[in-house]
Amino acid sequence: MLAYITRRLVYGMVTLLALSAIVFSLLQMTGGGPLDRLKLNPRMGPYIQQLTELWGLDQPAWKQYMTWLKNYTTIEELSLQNALPIIAIVGGAAATYGLVKYVRRQWKGLAVVGVWAVALFVAVSNTTIRFNWGTSFSGSGDVWDLVWSRAGATFRLGLTALAIALIIGVPLGIYQAVRQYSFFDQLGTIGAFIAFSTPIFIIGIALQILLALYLEKWTGVKLFYVTGMNDPGYSDMSAMGKLVDTLQHLILPAVSIALISLAGYARFQRASMLEVLHSDYLRTAKAKGLPRRKVIVKHALRNAMIPIVTLVSLDLAFMIGGAIITESIFGWPGIGRLYIKAITEIDYPLVMAIVMVIGIGLIIMNIVADILYGVLDPRVRYD
Amino acid sequence: MTEPGGDIGEAPVQPDEALGLAVEPVTQWDLFSSRLRRHRLAMISTVFLMLLMTVVILAPAMESAGWIDDPTKGLVDANGRILRNISPRASDGEVFYTEIIDSQQVTFEASPTALLLGSDDLGRSVFTRIIFGGRASLTVGLVTGFLVASLGTVFGSLAGFYPGGVDQSLMRFTDLVLGLPLLPVAIVVGRILPEIEFLPSFIRTGPFGIAMLIGFLAWGGLARIVRAEFLSLREKEFVEAARAAGAGDNRIVFRHILPNAMSPIIVQTTLIIGAAIIIEAALSFLGFGVKPPTPTWGAMVSQGGRQAVRGFWWEMVFSGAALVTTVLAINFLGDGLRDALDPTQTIERK
Repeated sequence: MLAYITRRLVYGMVTLLALSAIVFSLLQMTGGGPLDRLKLNPRMGPYIQQLTELWGLDQPAWKQYMTWLKNYTTIEELSLQNALPIIAIVGGAAATYGLVKYVRRQWKGLAVVGVWAVALFVAVSNTTIRFNWGTSFSGSGDVWDLVWSRAGATFRLGLTALAIALIIGVPLGIYQAVRQYSFFDQLGTIGAFIAFSTPIFIIGIALQILLALYLEKWTGVKLFYVTGMNDPGYSDMSAMGKLVDTLQHLILPAVSIALISLAGYARFQRASMLEVLHSDYLRTAKAKGLPRRKVIVKHALRNAMIPIVTLVSLDLAFMIGGAIITESIFGWPGIGRLYIKAITEIDYPLVMAIVMVIGIGLIIMNIVADILYGVLDPRVRYD
Repeated sequence: MTEPGGDIGEAPVQPDEALGLAVEPVTQWDLFSSRLRRHRLAMISTVFLMLLMTVVILAPAMESAGWIDDPTKGLVDANGRILRNISPRASDGEVFYTEIIDSQQVTFEASPTALLLGSDDLGRSVFTRIIFGGRASLTVGLVTGFLVASLGTVFGSLAGFYPGGVDQSLMRFTDLVLGLPLLPVAIVVGRILPEIEFLPSFIRTGPFGIAMLIGFLAWGGLARIVRAEFLSLREKEFVEAARAAGAGDNRIVFRHILPNAMSPIIVQTTLIIGAAIIIEAALSFLGFGVKPPTPTWGAMVSQGGRQAVRGFWWEMVFSGAALVTTVLAINFLGDGLRDALDPTQTIERK
């Protein structure tokens, strides 16, 4: 298991190196430099030379890349805000030892993963850590601050979308499988086909125009907002008002990201449930006279829900793409929109930082999903 | 196929023929096409896609025949005012467009279909632009499909047929390509593509560049599928028999394994074509795809969305519908092909 994780991490590192090299060399191929935009401003004239030297743009490309790589991976500041991180890590280790030693149940693996998720969250949220990711070329300030100030919005959007897709998609697929070839099942199949064939931006714009704009125009009810994450007067609202305001802004973009994934999860869950429903042990369960509900809930559901973990991890890359598109439609102040802005202005440090954050996130999530899959399904062995 | 012994002397009379019961041989193709024909949606989709393909290929001819207009020129009325955001209507013969020939402004009558689906913000015919936009979308779909099919098959079959070092290195490379986040990388390439000076201009701004970009990023999935097929097929008895009969690697791969691995390749390529059209549209929507003035459905949805906010819904609705319908048809066709190419499947459709 440890060897497997190590190997995956090494491959992940190689992928990240390749990703950074590819994107960096692509950015080098642009006709003009990143200072073209600044050169248009006559008052910037005297500073161009200075900035070129400061940002190392006069160096050959490979030197710039090495400098970037060194800076990107160098910790600039690392300090503990309090003793909680140490307590969390020690506690996590102790809990892992206890679980491994004294618990012999099937849920042991899941408990270990859960303990470490909580421990790492506590540790990270009570630590101040900064990497030197450089300064934005387009004058937006320090890249590290910029990326993390926007990350929260994207996490909120992405997690909501994932939750919507899972909470609706999985039960939908199970229901379709249990009532195979019923009218509802056929409807779901057609719906999934249409969802797969509809680009996210069409869903996003359609939802925005119909539910946020025209609904208000036609009925006078303001149910959803067209853009943004919160109302300008957000800080003066009551707790209830804040929640309602957040949901009014959040639901439409989250649904537009979630819809296609939702259809995918339902299809996948349906297929996996059907496979289990036709398996021998389920026939045995039925033959020995268990009630239908018990057969489905106790025997079929548990096994049929394991494979969705893999699908979710594979789907994350798609969701990130969806977030980039949806954020630019709904004016959501997240990483995706920042990325579009950075690319448009060819802002090297910002583009590189965001691409790498996305790459790192995907690789970690894939490894976590693989471990989780093995934990949930004892038949899986890593070698 | 020659019957055994059929070449020597007279052809032996088949007993069935002698009895007047001649049997038509049922080939794999017959089985496939009869199964495909039973998939009603796939058949409708095939007809639709063929129609679309014909229209799109003939678009320049239709333009010169005067059935549709120039997709880059604004329509004007009899007084020379640009007809912006005109709602869909049948032609009333009052629509023109102007062209500058020898520094003289010449006014031509626009085609009868000019305002069939309305006009956009710059007064251009939405109907014409949708037809020309289909050119970009289908070019991207087909070129990407071709690239993915060839790259995926070559990499996958090499890795699957030669285990060990070749397999390992090729699959590591495939993993690496699959590990790249597709849309963020595609956006970077789409942004800088027009500025790469050593590339010919049709790649820099046209659909070919975008198609190649998507193709080079998207072949990994197919390579894995082909490799898995090869791994299982190369252990089969018929391959062993062929080898025992003295067949070389070439013959085994091209006559025995590849034909049997064809069905996942065909199905996967069909689905990739649909996905590529969506990705191209998304890139054009964000402004990193095919560059204006070449019309694309993605860019039309983007522009049309801004007009739809003001109540001019037609550009967005029609271009979006064209996009969704086309991709839907491709996906239905892929589904039909999957059913038809899988001989073990029994079709339970009504």
